[in-house]
Amino acid sequence: MTYLRVVWQAFRLQAELARRGPQHLLMLLVTPMQTASLLALTLHSHRPDALVNAVIAPGMIGLWVAALDYAGRVVPEDQWAGRFTPMVAAPVPLTVVVVGRVAAVVLVGAVAFAESWLTAAVGFGRVLTVAEPGVFAAAVLATCLAAVGTAMLLSGVIALSRARDVLQNSLSYPFYILGGVVFPITVLPAWVRPFSRVVFLSWSAQLLRDAAHGTVRHWAVSLAVILALGAAALAGGMWLTRRVVDGARRKGTVGFA
Amino acid sequence: MEAAVSASALRRTYERKRKDAVVALDDLTLSIARNEIHGLLGPNGAGKTTLVKILSTVLLPTAGTARVLGHDVVAETRTVRTLVGLVLGGDRGLYDRLSARRNLLFWGALYKLDARTVRRRADALLERVGLAERADDPVERFSRGMRQRLHLARGLLHEPQVLFLDEPTSGLDPVAAVAFRRLVLELRDEGRTFLLATHDMDEATALCDRVSLIDRGRLLLTDDTASIGRILGDRECVDFVHDDGTHAEALALLPEVTDVERLDDRWRVHTADRDGSRRVLAWLVERDVLTARHAQPTLEEVYLRTVGDRGMRV
Ligand SMILES: Nc1ncnc2c1ncn2[C@@H]1O[C@H](COP(=O)(O)OP(=O)(O)OP(=O)(O)O)[C@@H](O)[C@H]1O
Ligand SMILES: [Mg+2]
Repeated sequence: MTYLRVVWQAFRLQAELARRGPQHLLMLLVTPMQTASLLALTLHSHRPDALVNAVIAPGMIGLWVAALDYAGRVVPEDQWAGRFTPMVAAPVPLTVVVVGRVAAVVLVGAVAFAESWLTAAVGFGRVLTVAEPGVFAAAVLATCLAAVGTAMLLSGVIALSRARDVLQNSLSYPFYILGGVVFPITVLPAWVRPFSRVVFLSWSAQLLRDAAHGTVRHWAVSLAVILALGAAALAGGMWLTRRVVDGARRKGTVGFA
Repeated sequence: MEAAVSASALRRTYERKRKDAVVALDDLTLSIARNEIHGLLGPNGAGKTTLVKILSTVLLPTAGTARVLGHDVVAETRTVRTLVGLVLGGDRGLYDRLSARRNLLFWGALYKLDARTVRRRADALLERVGLAERADDPVERFSRGMRQRLHLARGLLHEPQVLFLDEPTSGLDPVAAVAFRRLVLELRDEGRTFLLATHDMDEATALCDRVSLIDRGRLLLTDDTASIGRILGDRECVDFVHDDGTHAEALALLPEVTDVERLDDRWRVHTADRDGSRRVLAWLVERDVLTARHAQPTLEEVYLRTVGDRGMRV
């Protein structure tokens, strides 16, 4: 119960940091442009999934950018600013704080979905109607939750790695491709597909597309897989964050002085 | 009664690439009684911060043990964390974009305090450290000294029994430094124990019941602050300020004077006993040297003599 309160406080802290430092929101400027580009490219192709894709892809890219760039910065920034040491000195594990902050970051990413929908509707007069709104809403929610777990994992990987920038730059496109974000994974070579099955984005993308088109099969299974992948990532991320703290206490490398 | 803090054969090394490890603490044994203000002195790189970090559980010892109020800092980390407060000097370590109050509210949650309690304590502490009027300003607009006061407030939020302060007053203006000292003494009256790492000898003299001097990770001495001068020999002396050495030469010939010494800014006359000091004082006052006073070596002198002519070497 106390830990939930800490998560909530950390969430609020991050939200306030974002409000006071608008660079956290910069990525939301990119989303409408992505939607616009995708629509402009495919509007005249008369492919039925063009609109669905143009709305969903920027939303998911927004989530991923939030998870990778912004969530990945949470721990390193505390280290650089000398907050890491006093945080480790507190009885609540750092992991709990990071979960709350990462969740707030990712929710900002989720705004990209709404933005993208609005861009298509207002900018292009193309209103995305969803055949199965219930499933669609559940899929968006599950996707956001899984994104929090994944952001936690990425945050842990980035905090542990010595090559932060390289990682942050290289972990985007491969996942857009594996996640079937911009195009369905069915167009990928067969040998790649098993890899994309462990990326929650691929399940999300498919479920969102199917819900929009009304071609959903086994939605419960898809939701369960999305949530399970998110939970696994969360557990992995929490474990890695604990290792960051343990490593610092052992090596004495991250400190205040 | 059990000591508030005890370190036993505490050792800490830092690994380095392609070089020998640095020994930051070398079998250090130290004990701090409950309700004591204990000063930790030593040159740059002596190991003060390392000790403070180990005692506050943010760094693991390489060998040896340390206990806070009977709890082992390695085996009972969680318990120790709720009992101790850590205040690191300097102006970093806060959320600069957020207000002082917001920083404290967040920190309170890390100590599992409920929202009402944190709010109440945050207000009281902001008042106590003189930041009440700036409580809602973002910390990035704070001066260094104001940040340090906020650090202190943060360290007190969970009302810890034992406080570790690492150079908490570097950069405080004189008025703030005096207020800080008063606050520490008040907190001690509430029953708290302090370990205060500092380079400020006046501060250590004014605050600390006992001081420990460490160098290169080793404990050189621990003693009561009031009588630490004894360490330089149990000698009587009289200090006075005078421009030339004529008085000094004359004094050296008196039978009760054993030695006359030139210190940085004054002369020091060593006498055989208390009576001798009395006569030397009278002798000086007769000659209108009103700066004369019965003296004991200060903490600073003890420090300088003990640490020796290290100069700038670390
Ligand atoms: N993270 C680290 N990695 C390697 N060596 C370190 C590390 N932290 C401290 N040291 C070394 O350990 C020794 C003790 O350092 P420490 O910071 O404890 O000294 P200090 O007494 O606090 O000094 P100061 O008065 O300058 O604050 C020094 O030789 C220092 O170089
Ligand atoms: Mg230090």
